[in-house]
Amino acid sequence: MRRRTVIGSVAVAGAAVAAGLYRFTDLFAKHYPPTPYDDVLSVLVDREEAARFGALVRAAPAPGALAARLRAILKPNGLAGAVGADIAAGRLAEVDGWVVPQSVALLSALAAKA
Amino acid sequence: MTAFLDARTLPSDVVLEPDIAIIGGGPAGISLALALANTKLNILLLESGNQNFDPANQKLYGGSQSGLPYIALDAGRLRFLGGSTNHWGGWCRPMDEVDFEAKPWLPYSGWPFPRKTLEPYYARAQALVEAGPWIYDQKGAAENAAEGTVLPLGKGGLYTSWFQFSKMRGDVLPTQFGKRYEAELKRATNVTPLLHANIIAIRLSPDAKRVEKLDGATLGSNGGGGKRFTVKPRFVVLAAGGMENARLLLVSNDVMKTGVGNQNDLVGRFFADNPVPRDVATVVSFAGPLAPFYGSNQSLDDGAIMRATFAPTAAFCRSAQVLGSLSTIEQPVELDETGKAAVITTAIALGVDASNAKARSLGCGMELAPDPDRRLVLTDEKDALGLPRLKLRMRIADEDFARYRRTLIELGRQLLASRTGMLHIDKKNRADWMKTMDWGHHHLGTTRMHTDPKQGVVDADGLVHGLGNLYIAGSSTFPSYSASNPTLNLIALTLRLADHLKKVMA
Repeated sequence: MRRRTVIGSVAVAGAAVAAGLYRFTDLFAKHYPPTPYDDVLSVLVDREEAARFGALVRAAPAPGALAARLRAILKPNGLAGAVGADIAAGRLAEVDGWVVPQSVALLSALAAKA
Repeated sequence: MTAFLDARTLPSDVVLEPDIAIIGGGPAGISLALALANTKLNILLLESGNQNFDPANQKLYGGSQSGLPYIALDAGRLRFLGGSTNHWGGWCRPMDEVDFEAKPWLPYSGWPFPRKTLEPYYARAQALVEAGPWIYDQKGAAENAAEGTVLPLGKGGLYTSWFQFSKMRGDVLPTQFGKRYEAELKRATNVTPLLHANIIAIRLSPDAKRVEKLDGATLGSNGGGGKRFTVKPRFVVLAAGGMENARLLLVSNDVMKTGVGNQNDLVGRFFADNPVPRDVATVVSFAGPLAPFYGSNQSLDDGAIMRATFAPTAAFCRSAQVLGSLSTIEQPVELDETGKAAVITTAIALGVDASNAKARSLGCGMELAPDPDRRLVLTDEKDALGLPRLKLRMRIADEDFARYRRTLIELGRQLLASRTGMLHIDKKNRADWMKTMDWGHHHLGTTRMHTDPKQGVVDADGLVHGLGNLYIAGSSTFPSYSASNPTLNLIALTLRLADHLKKVMA
């Protein structure tokens, strides 16, 4: 076997291992099973913490309804826009005592349920 | 220089005839005596106690209570010269304009005059409590002088306001009026402080138009009544505190059967204090520790001692129908895992870094809504001088907590709006509020002021409705209460009364 082929094979194998580690382990980034709401949940930088917090949201709608509502909320200006609008309009939620923008509460609740 | 007199050494059945008899040597009584010093008026300052704490005398304050648990009636006040300034914390803050307003949504609210009526007296009141130069909320004054940065709050219903403090002397408590003004009282040749002098009845003329005389008594060495004496003043100022003012009016019922000034069943009603619930909320600062003046007193170079507090604006009070509240940052708090999750999630959503976030508890002094059924009544039990003891029927409406909760939510919103922090409300229900409840020991409202005799015991000058020569000084006349600590404000009101008396008696 030619030396170039060996090196190339090793490189390909290494890349495959790295890709596998990235995709199928949480070594480099947290991975979650796919859900129908990933388009919404993708705005969360730390989904795990959001889920921990979202578990405290009481009487949250079913995930499908939550996701639909969030898509509508996030569509115009993304998460930052939605959060700012909530604060300006006084649309706040109390989650186990924490006063947060409603969009944050809904998003966290979806993270907990997804 | 005149020495203090001791009523126990007066000749038997003596009759004293001053121009003005001031009943009570606390901050109101002493401030009034000092304001009338070196005039042509002959002032008799009647103090039940001595110059130091005496347990036997203190027992005269004992009483009972029902309803909401409250501090013992003899625990929140001191019966000796200087009164409650012998144990006060020195917190000072002038009442806000909105505190004086009649609010359509709040029954019984409003003073007979606006704050500007008291403003000419605040500077002298500030000097008497020795709280340094007048700074408080003058734009930028405290912020410029104090070390640290004021927490930015988004536009909204609360702002950073400032307390000032009566002068501390090392570890000693703030200005104690009895000790601090002893020399001034002795120097005033027209003021006679009479110690051990209890007034046990206000005797009216048969037509119930004037006070004819005051019955006085000392506490005997055997624990019962001692020497008797009589005071026949031209004018009387009752300045014995929010509980004793009402008690003395109610027990004086020989001419007016329901008690002096109580023709409309108002004396003793509308009792209030400032609830001081601890740990009402947790404030998280995303950037880390807050400036020191939030969590503790800070001494400025000019001698003022300051502390920051979060106060509602007048506009927010009106629009959100909330009452006064002064929320102060207290102890550091360690967040649990869900608390950390809340902070991380919210900070990321706001686009800010919260890796150095710090949390602290929030305490508060609240204003209660006026309530006629929160009241003092007489009981059959008598004290050592034969006076019926008081019973307090205490209560707080759920709406009082709900109003303050709205204020907290607005504070939380403003922290989010400024992207500087967030807030957790620690109280879920009434039981939670009561679990950490403390009190300001501010006795307010029991001889309330109103221009209409059907709604107030005294008029706008402090004169008891229907009587020509009996005035009341102190926070018992406050018709609605504010969250600001009352001492500075009641002194300003008393100095106004002094000016009024000078005119009336000229």
